Amino acid sequence: MAESKLHLLSDESKGEIDTWIAKYPKDQKKSAVMAALTIVQDANGGWLTQELMDMVAEYLAMEPISVYEVATFYSMYELKPVGRHKICVCTNISCMLCGSDAVVSHLKDKLGIGFGGITTDGKISLKEVECLGACGGAPMLQIGDQYYENLTPEKIDSILDNLK
Amino acid sequence: MKTGLNHYLKTFILWELLIGLKLTGRYFFAKKITVQYPEEKTPQSYRFRGLHALRRYDNGEERCIACKLCEAVCPALAITIESEVHDDGSRRTTRYDIDLFKCIFCGFCEEACPVDSIVETRIFDYHFEKRGEQIMTKEKLLAIGDQHEAQIAADRELDAPYR
Amino acid sequence: MINIEIDGLKIEAQDGAMLIEAADEVGISIPRFCYHKKLSVAANCRMCLVDVEKAAKPLPACATPVTEGMKVFTQSQKAISAQKGVMEFLLINHPLDCPICDQGGECDLQDLAVGYGGGETRYSENKRVVKNKNIGSLIATDMTRCIHCTRCVRFGEEIAGVRELGAIGRGEHMEIGTYVASTISSELSGNMIDLCPVGALTSKPFRYSARNWEMQRHPSIAGHDCVGSNIDLDVRDNNIMRVVPRENEEINETWISDRDRFSYEGLNSKDRLTAPMIKQSGEWQRVSWDTALAFALNGVKELVGRHGAEHLGTLVSPSATLEEMYLLQKLVRGLGSSNIDHRVRQLDFSDQNRAPAFPYLGQSIESLGQSDAVLLVGANITKDQPILGHRVRQAALFGAKVMCVNSVDYKVNMPLAEKLITDVAGMEAALAGILKALLNMNKIAAPSGIDQLLHSVSISATHEKMAANLSKASHGSVLLGLSAASHPAYSTLYALAECIAELSGAKLGSLSLGANSAGAWLSGAVPHRTADSASSNQTSAGLNAIQMFTAPRKGYFLFGIEPEFDSVDPVVTTQSLKDAEFVVAFSSYASTVLSDVANVFLPISPYTETSGTFVNVEGRWQSFKGVVSPQEDTRPAWKILRVLGNLFELKGFDYMSSIEVRDELKKCLGDIKLSNKRAWLCPELSGNISEQIVEIPIYGADAITRRAVSLSITPDATGHTIVMN
Repeated sequence: MAESKLHLLSDESKGEIDTWIAKYPKDQKKSAVMAALTIVQDANGGWLTQELMDMVAEYLAMEPISVYEVATFYSMYELKPVGRHKICVCTNISCMLCGSDAVVSHLKDKLGIGFGGITTDGKISLKEVECLGACGGAPMLQIGDQYYENLTPEKIDSILDNLK
Repeated sequence: MKTGLNHYLKTFILWELLIGLKLTGRYFFAKKITVQYPEEKTPQSYRFRGLHALRRYDNGEERCIACKLCEAVCPALAITIESEVHDDGSRRTTRYDIDLFKCIFCGFCEEACPVDSIVETRIFDYHFEKRGEQIMTKEKLLAIGDQHEAQIAADRELDAPYR
Repeated sequence: MINIEIDGLKIEAQDGAMLIEAADEVGISIPRFCYHKKLSVAANCRMCLVDVEKAAKPLPACATPVTEGMKVFTQSQKAISAQKGVMEFLLINHPLDCPICDQGGECDLQDLAVGYGGGETRYSENKRVVKNKNIGSLIATDMTRCIHCTRCVRFGEEIAGVRELGAIGRGEHMEIGTYVASTISSELSGNMIDLCPVGALTSKPFRYSARNWEMQRHPSIAGHDCVGSNIDLDVRDNNIMRVVPRENEEINETWISDRDRFSYEGLNSKDRLTAPMIKQSGEWQRVSWDTALAFALNGVKELVGRHGAEHLGTLVSPSATLEEMYLLQKLVRGLGSSNIDHRVRQLDFSDQNRAPAFPYLGQSIESLGQSDAVLLVGANITKDQPILGHRVRQAALFGAKVMCVNSVDYKVNMPLAEKLITDVAGMEAALAGILKALLNMNKIAAPSGIDQLLHSVSISATHEKMAANLSKASHGSVLLGLSAASHPAYSTLYALAECIAELSGAKLGSLSLGANSAGAWLSGAVPHRTADSASSNQTSAGLNAIQMFTAPRKGYFLFGIEPEFDSVDPVVTTQSLKDAEFVVAFSSYASTVLSDVANVFLPISPYTETSGTFVNVEGRWQSFKGVVSPQEDTRPAWKILRVLGNLFELKGFDYMSSIEVRDELKKCLGDIKLSNKRAWLCPELSGNISEQIVEIPIYGADAITRRAVSLSITPDATGHTIVMN
């Protein structure tokens, strides 16, 4: 039996996870896995370590591999350190048809990093994501909880300038 | 009466013999077709199916991957292969024997080979001195391949458009 | 029943059955990769798309329940083109490496590609490449070949009970793996090799050694645990190349344990004994059979002449065949000795006269899976009898309450309703506690003597819950495992378990050691019973496996025994053997210790090279044939014993085949009562026990398994998973 990882869980995160667990039937604790991963990720500066995933698995009485499956499936979970701002650019069909390629190359040039990279000052990281459901405003990107739509190079520049 | 005289004359001047000699004479002065083997050899097709060889890639790696398709397809059951995991993790033969007494030189092994490893060369003149020598082992086959690689490669090149 | 029509054939299908099941029933084959009858339906390969009347799109047959009047076409234009389309997608990323793939020739994808694949690819981009994972010594991976059917993932979750493989990533980046580098620890893991429809998971010990078309398949019976799993042995050039399961719904379904699958490696071990040998002035000499047999004959005759037949002791492996055991006991009893035993791991023999005819499971293996409460006593069922463990686990998944009373906290792959871990001495008290709780709860009259016995026993909440679970169950099972059988107070544990089972209406069962403990009891390989009277005792019982060494004999027959492993006290056993004047070893292997103690080696064939019979734990007689000829100068042991019997001038040793031996025994036995019932006799609590139980390593139960190299480096064998209490 591997060592318990529960000591990694802060009381605050534990409280948040518990409110999610309470929303599901008692025998389906594992339904809270996505919320739990989000909470733990936010508390860890935006990314998940294997230990943290093991900890979530232990807390929700799941097999660790099931948690890894969830964490690797969804694009909102990060398994490597990220910058303070995570720019998620949609390159799915609607955005691609509306010119996401230009958006991507502009971002890459401007930031000097590729997908999955972090700027040297640790401020921004860039990520390619699938459809975020904002096809009406394609091409689009997401930073934090904010969607930015109908992008043009000028608009991107002003978005980047406004990032702290 | 006339027929009898004709017959008598033809017999007397050895007419039939001369007819025969005419043919002899024609061939005597015609261009010769005899090949003075081994100084001379007949031309061979690039599809000639002679003695077998195992080939290597340019970097010296054996081509054979021990898939055993040649062994499976061989109608004379002349091929015996044993295989194992090679040190580098690849699939390799530890034994590749062709019994030339069994082989009927049908060329199926060559057809079946997915990596052009086992081939039949243009070599047709070879002999055995002792029982057991007819078993072409992996070492012998590779040696033949190494020796004749240029010819083998050229022949495959010529045949490529028809494959 | 529901009436449906498949390809114009009117059939009746079970309510709730899926289309593919209904089609399989009548022999209409629908191509499939992800569907497997023993696993849940995933419907993710889409290969089984069929055309259903009035359905707008083709439907997956594995996930479409039958409905009344349904008309299905598996060969229509629509169905075929859907299947061809799916196949084209599957082949996009599948490498064209069939020639080096071990699955080649027995590959579902290869077979179906012949039927549904295109002649040419329309895909010119690069194929994806997936890094291989090292998941242990048993399974080789080539993950680029994976078509993501997730059979292995579902197997881990549903059958093996440990979810180790998962689908990592998504879309084109999905991979099957463990995420963190780790080895697969399941004792049933080898079944993933069979399940994998492509060559992504293949057998590591078998890797690249043979093609399926050059092997002949012979049916046999696995000889490593009391289950008697049905297996097929694949033979090439008189060598066992691999072992695969043979379907038998009543025993092993479609599975076999890793031990049954990979132990064949031990058959060609370096210390395999291939010729008769005798030891003269300390030197081993290879001799002819005549010489060796004469040497053995003279040695034994001299010994019996000098000291009397009671100075002969015989130990037989519980994994020997029925015929071998019967002939061996016939031989030694013919010589006048009853000192024969197979219970090499047992400490407590006090109850042997009251034991049932053989250690019986108390029910069929199939019925065990339908239990709704199971109490495991001193049983590591998951590792010791993986197939039975699987049955119990299935019961647990259907809601059965599985409980255990163990002296070691074994890792189990099923949810345990209650768990009681105590030291060796505490086992009695634990069972007594359950018994007392049971009596308190049900207010039933206690069998005579029990009240007094339980007077000072205290009960805990766990005892009460266990008692409650058992008495509430309509189909309870109480199973005594291997460490219960080697407990210093086995007879007390047995009697307490018996009483618990009786009072709660549960079925009592024993899980026995080796492949043929049941056969050993029936054939008379015990000191107190003979085959002629399998359930009545002899008036003068011989010495048991322990007594033979506490009161050392002058001569021994060792049959398939390795004294350093097959004994509770290897030091005493080895010393007694060393001190003995004459030791005849019937063995397939010449280990160092055995070479040290024996005077003559008679090389016997393991179960793959001899015909014979194993009786499994449910009393099922399963005969098998030798599938390869005996190696070099080894001989089937029944033949050696027959010759020896004749050399000793004993009567009735003229058998022409092992079948004759078996039939003679069967006639002797008459009707065998399949029952564990016996008259009640109150046990006594022994109180302070200082001995420890020597746990039998999962891959150390018999000589062949001990020599299987790949098994010996699995996590189970290296012991990382067991925590001693």
